[in-house]
Amino acid sequence: MKPRAAFPRCAALTLAACLLGAAGPAPRADLASAAADQKAFQDHFKSRFPEVPFADFANGPYAVNAAMRKQWEEIMQFPPYDFALDEGKTAFETKFANGKSYADCFANGGIGVRQDFPYFDTKSGEVITLDLAINRCREANGEKPLPYQTGMMASLTAYMAETSRGKPFAIKIPDDPRALAAYEAGKKYFYTRRGQLNFSCATCHVGAAGQRMRGDILAPAMGILAAFPIYRSDWGSMGTIDRRFTSCSAQMRSEPLPPQDVAYRNLEYFLSYMGNGVPISGPGTRP
Amino acid sequence: MRRLVLAGLLLSLPAEAWAASQAEAEAALAAAVQAEAQAAALGNRWVPAEAALKAAKAALAAQSWDIAAAEASKAHAMALRAVEQSKEQETAWRDAVVR
Repeated sequence: MKPRAAFPRCAALTLAACLLGAAGPAPRADLASAAADQKAFQDHFKSRFPEVPFADFANGPYAVNAAMRKQWEEIMQFPPYDFALDEGKTAFETKFANGKSYADCFANGGIGVRQDFPYFDTKSGEVITLDLAINRCREANGEKPLPYQTGMMASLTAYMAETSRGKPFAIKIPDDPRALAAYEAGKKYFYTRRGQLNFSCATCHVGAAGQRMRGDILAPAMGILAAFPIYRSDWGSMGTIDRRFTSCSAQMRSEPLPPQDVAYRNLEYFLSYMGNGVPISGPGTRP
Repeated sequence: MRRLVLAGLLLSLPAEAWAASQAEAEAALAAAVQAEAQAAALGNRWVPAEAALKAAKAALAAQSWDIAAAEASKAHAMALRAVEQSKEQETAWRDAVVR
């Protein structure tokens, strides 16, 4: 008897929901699905590495491999990114020819803001990364843009990241169909296999996270961008997120996109959103 | 035995009988360029396909028709596979999403 009694109540609720839906704003199904993506993503890594504290995912491979962590702790007695940090701080504090500085372009004078990047700019309808914001700041003040992959861009972002250390990623997806489209495009890029090796980003950083790929331990995707920019021993120098994306592409034998290509910016948006809550740890070091 | 004799006869043919002509090399390169353009339109150019294409163009410029045809053929095959991969992934990527 009870199931029969429940049906009319259920039907009435459905009808009421339909009427409300018709009268009010459409449900924010896409925003809800992005939040559900994030929860599933984070739950995956928490259950895969139950011994790793959530915040420690900011340390990439060192969070999931004890031997590498020990080496890293020794390296960190004299961090190889220190020179870049000093250079970045000096450049950040040096005024442009017009008398203005980077501080004039960013909220809070550019100090402690790394965790809010990238963000979706509802005015221009695009994802703005920290690196892109730095170059737009330069151009707006009559300066030439910096190359994106290494050098001064890495130094500046190292300094800005260092002022945000410990602050959790706080990426927002505004209720704007273009922002959701950018998020979805980044998600698609992350999971799409490409290149001669038929790998996706997820192949290494979800499916094989924590495992060895030749000499490297693959970092878990959750919080993977928190340490950027990084000094990578393999490179022998500092590198930005663009440098990592382009080198990852090449390793999959897929022709890299230009730095700050819309697809890379959307990827950074998706990945950073998946890492919400993981504290900024940059600049970092990697093998 | 017949196969062995046939293989021997084929191997004894002069090298010129195996060589690609300029027209063949140019046709192979044109096909490779077209396929690679399709892969590029799908955002999926492969590094070795680009390298083979470059080698084919260089060989063509150097009038090495055999090498040009061989490299173009490699580039063509890889570009076709890249296009196929992109088309498969248009929907298949969803199966990999963490849920």
